[in-house]
Amino acid sequence: MSEPVVRIENVSKVFRQGGLFNRAPGFKAVSNVSLSVAKNRTLGIVGESGSGKSTLLRMVLRLIQPSEGRILVNGAEIWSLRGGELKAMRRQVQPIFQNPASSFNPRQTIRAILAAPLEVHGIGSAAERRERITTLLRRVGLDPAIENRLPHQLSGGQKQRIAIARAVILGPSVVLADEPTSALDVSVQAQVLKLFADIKYDFGLTTIFVSHNLAVIREVSDEVAVMRRGEVVEQGEADRIFEDPQHDYTRELLAAVPSPAFMASA
Amino acid sequence: MSTAIRKPFNWRRWRLVVTGGAIVGTILLLAILAPWVAPYSPFDLNVAQMLKGPSATHLLGTDELGRDVLSRVIHAARLSMMVAVLASLVGLVFGTLIGTLAAYFGGIVDLILMRLMEILFSFPAILLAIVLMASLGTSIFNAMIAIGIIFIPGFARLARATAESVLRQQYVEQARAIGMSHTRILVREILPNILAPLLVEAAVAFSYAVLLESALSFLGLGAQPPDPSWGNMLNTGRGFMGVAPWLSIVPGAAIFLTVFGFNMLGDGLRDAFDPQLRDE
Repeated sequence: MSEPVVRIENVSKVFRQGGLFNRAPGFKAVSNVSLSVAKNRTLGIVGESGSGKSTLLRMVLRLIQPSEGRILVNGAEIWSLRGGELKAMRRQVQPIFQNPASSFNPRQTIRAILAAPLEVHGIGSAAERRERITTLLRRVGLDPAIENRLPHQLSGGQKQRIAIARAVILGPSVVLADEPTSALDVSVQAQVLKLFADIKYDFGLTTIFVSHNLAVIREVSDEVAVMRRGEVVEQGEADRIFEDPQHDYTRELLAAVPSPAFMASA
Repeated sequence: MSTAIRKPFNWRRWRLVVTGGAIVGTILLLAILAPWVAPYSPFDLNVAQMLKGPSATHLLGTDELGRDVLSRVIHAARLSMMVAVLASLVGLVFGTLIGTLAAYFGGIVDLILMRLMEILFSFPAILLAIVLMASLGTSIFNAMIAIGIIFIPGFARLARATAESVLRQQYVEQARAIGMSHTRILVREILPNILAPLLVEAAVAFSYAVLLESALSFLGLGAQPPDPSWGNMLNTGRGFMGVAPWLSIVPGAAIFLTVFGFNMLGDGLRDAFDPQLRDE
């Protein structure tokens, strides 16, 4: 078996509480989690709010440092990377965030927003960047003229399409999505998920997809990890988890889904 | 002609800005055009015309050395405006820098910077100004620096609070995740989004700077005679309150009008920028 693209080894995160003089015991958001994702596969992480799934994702994005454990991307431990290696890792791993309203700088045009990753990594001339932005906007199903607009002039679905375009503009190998569709209504959600799946296939991405929505997780994932209070209670192939859940909590979650008909259609 | 439908001008929303702006604009214009607008030189002595009340030749009377009060009050506006602009700028620039850095880096940086700001804050403004002037030396330039330093903690607190709310936005995390440098995140993502409340604060600081400069000049620490300043004019006027009340009333009224105008402008801008009040 080949080396997984993302490997999370015994990772924990404790958030310190209290101030300078009183040390509270701290809150354990993620507790001894080990997961890995193989190339071109999608790992779905499902759990209710507060289960630590977003914290885990932020650690893989190298935004929060784990209290314990190691995170490897393409075989390299991300917190030991410095300088050029770190920059290369930043280029390989891209996020898509949950809230389309706050994931764009409200004062920048779509063009400036999409050009930022290219500028940071010094890719292409101004003309080449423009070309790439236009191509990508078309690819995510938007009129390239949209590049002159400001984020608040776009709908939620349009914004998430832009977010997907931004996530792949650097040609990453890993995309980490934190509830990218939870703020959208159901019909738009289905379109965005379809686009996400297409883009994933076209760009050969390895992805981790975090959601509290089981229907969404089932649609996008090859493997699923179920998180509860910072721990992974069950993990395995998506079909196996959904058809033959072993852990009580997974059964509870599945039973709590309102309509099986919706799940089947999603 | 544009065919786009424009929202009608909302007078209620902008009335404070327009009125305050008009007052401030007039004073600024007078200050800039002082040499051309003032009827006399502010320095010309005329001992024969000492302490004369308002008349056709001297609209606002003359002072104890026979100088034209109207001309002096107009020239004094130059100095006051210059001090107010530069002091507010010093406060705005350094306060924003300190507050934003404190919010962005957090932890020990935040702790040290903000405790320093609190120490500055804990002194009464005028006392701090006097101490600073005593160590810097007496000149109008130093008065400006001293007033600017007094403003820094206020701007720093506001900048920090606003920056904290911007930092929680996902576009800042996004910027970090694509590997944007700290400087670039601060300049590109954070600064443009915290500027509006800081500019409103600057308008308020401006009026306070006029007051402080007058107070310092009144105490003899700001503008040095014979340069006219509203503060030192008041100070001189004090001695002639009984025989020539216009010497005190004129610069006093100038200070009042300026402060009033800037406060109105500041309040108006704050309301106009507030999205909650946008479409009433």
